[in-house]
Amino acid sequence: MTLDQFLSIVPQSIVNGLMLGGTLSLVALGFSIVWGILNIINLAHGAFVMLSAYFAYFMFTGFGIDPFLSIAPAMLIFFVFGYVIQRYIINNVIRAPLLVTFLLTFGLEIIFVNVALNRFGGDYRSITTAYSGIGFFIGDVRVPYIKLAALLISLLIAGALHLFLSRTRTGNAIRAVGMDIDAAKLCGVKIGQTYAITYGIGAALAAAAGVLIGMSFTITPDMGGAFNLRSFVIVVLGGLGSVPGAVLGGLIFGMVDVFAGVLVPGLKDAIAFAMLVLVLIVRPQGILGKAFYK
Amino acid sequence: MRTRISVLMLLAIAVLMVSCAPPAATNVAPTQAPAAQVTSAATKAPAGATVPAAQNFAGTITFGAPVSLTGATNNEGKYTKDGYDLAVEVINNAGGVKVGDKFYKLALKFYDDESNADTSAKLTEKLITEDKVNLLLGPYGSGPTLNATVIAEKYKVPMVEANGAAENIFNRGFKYSFGILSPGKNYLRGVLEMAISLDPNIKNVAILAANDNFSLEVADGAKQYAESKGLKVVYNEKYPPTTKDISSLLTVVKGLSPDVILGSGHLQDALLVVKQSKDLNVNAKAWGFSVGPATPEFRDSLKKDADYIFGGAQWTVALKYNGNDVFKTPDNYTKLFMAKYSYEPPYQSAESSAAVITYQKAIEAAGSFDPDKVRDALAKLDFVSFYGQIKFDERGINTFKPMAVEQLQTDGKKHTVWPADVAEAKPQYPAPTWDKR
Repeated sequence: MTLDQFLSIVPQSIVNGLMLGGTLSLVALGFSIVWGILNIINLAHGAFVMLSAYFAYFMFTGFGIDPFLSIAPAMLIFFVFGYVIQRYIINNVIRAPLLVTFLLTFGLEIIFVNVALNRFGGDYRSITTAYSGIGFFIGDVRVPYIKLAALLISLLIAGALHLFLSRTRTGNAIRAVGMDIDAAKLCGVKIGQTYAITYGIGAALAAAAGVLIGMSFTITPDMGGAFNLRSFVIVVLGGLGSVPGAVLGGLIFGMVDVFAGVLVPGLKDAIAFAMLVLVLIVRPQGILGKAFYK
Repeated sequence: MRTRISVLMLLAIAVLMVSCAPPAATNVAPTQAPAAQVTSAATKAPAGATVPAAQNFAGTITFGAPVSLTGATNNEGKYTKDGYDLAVEVINNAGGVKVGDKFYKLALKFYDDESNADTSAKLTEKLITEDKVNLLLGPYGSGPTLNATVIAEKYKVPMVEANGAAENIFNRGFKYSFGILSPGKNYLRGVLEMAISLDPNIKNVAILAANDNFSLEVADGAKQYAESKGLKVVYNEKYPPTTKDISSLLTVVKGLSPDVILGSGHLQDALLVVKQSKDLNVNAKAWGFSVGPATPEFRDSLKKDADYIFGGAQWTVALKYNGNDVFKTPDNYTKLFMAKYSYEPPYQSAESSAAVITYQKAIEAAGSFDPDKVRDALAKLDFVSFYGQIKFDERGINTFKPMAVEQLQTDGKKHTVWPADVAEAKPQYPAPTWDKR
């Protein structure tokens, strides 16, 4: 590729990177808060994304409900689902070493993926609405409506989460538990309930991301694993347990993925994940440094 | 605790295996294919037209085959076995196979290889040494075929395989392996051939390939063919098979304004290429994919956006071949198949039946079912069947049969549009730009 050719596609690539990064931020946000507060590397996160994508798919194909309208109900349902799973399953081993909770969520993921495989089959599906793929131009740069909306919704939800954590009683309780569990307990914070709420929020964020992903990518029972992996990198990139960190990490990941795809497509994933190694060596606390729970 | 961890690990491994399984590819061709029974003067009477009574068979020729009836490719394995069974039955009903002046009955001995390549090889050995089958048919899939052919070679028993298209099966100098499918490198050739014949002005081709052996083989074959026809391959890049986003590659492709965009990968990638091309308003006169358009999910997922897209196909029920074999035409094959199994024959069944037909021709030409004599006859074989031309190159692969091309047309149906002389519909070309649809 000549320099001119490259320069001519830079603006479009920046837009592509922002839109990809926005959705990835939202996926990583739920992963980040659960990891930051509960100290669980939640491998079931990708399965929530997948199940929610199916939810939006069936609401759309079965009842003709626009996927954007499925976001709120999906978040509510998965909040309750996540709450119950934490309260009655994960909570039993919450004091165990990291490896045990890690394996437990791994097991949950396997169950969800296989139930989905059994119920929905391995077919590739995608939500194709009347406005899928339609967009507008800014100069030469194409902006598809769905992806723009996904970026805005992701930022909106991230902003709302930030406000919730800093301005509400429950939010403060969550942060308190993250900062010092014993002190929080002494102050009357109900640890079990706070954990369950946090996990529910993580699942709700995954659900919101799942709907958006279902609209622009393909839906299969095993789609979640790839998002777990990306969330992991994004969280490490941006800094653990930080809302702005997850958003920034997601946007950086999106940019790197897109520009690597332009320049060296065959090594696209390798480069994106090489960032993980680089950040761990150079700045192990993540780009935004101190996490909000410390 | 340790047992719990190991149980989880086992579960994990199981899931990995399940999720690595290739998606069940079905090739359901349009049902409205008119394909009236064409009778041609060139057609000879089918073998054994003088039907001897069943009890007059001089003996039985047994084919051995490991077939995946369970495991990851259990559906495809069933299609394969149904194809073998139907051909054996139809040939027997028509009087069997003529060896010299005697007629022999055909039989099939099979084992379930559980979709496992190593098991497939072991069962092949068992079929040869314990069951003493006369000749071998292939398992389903490139992996099992790769392993089973090693055993066939070791015991010098021919294996005519119908379900492994990877070139590396045939690049080992084996003398006893024969593949009746078009090899991977030809998968997208039909699309290019057709595009050139429709529009002599096309110049530029862009190729996107998943980074796995088979997809790269297909992409390389397409590139070589395009360049041999004087086209310029302006973009030829591979992406990681696990990728979730192809927009970056497509942004580069857009800047190069190709006339033809080819995708060699998996269904998921094909869906992604189409969706993200529409997102980014990337346009081409012709779109072709090696895998994807043949599956019903392609249309289900993309709706109207699937219109105009071409896909390579080994065989479709709508082709108008007039073959010199017991089945004669794809239409007649479909009728016989549906009468026995009540579902439309997928290409896996057709190619499997064609493998049996191929043996019949070779045995009759050799006048013997001695493995070495059949092998030599197979190497010299050249005939047209309901499945297309069957002729092997010096490596034992059928590079002579053209790939068919199917197109998802604006009437919402899938039509076979190439090769022109055996197609059922005209291609819709060029594809309009996304904003004109």
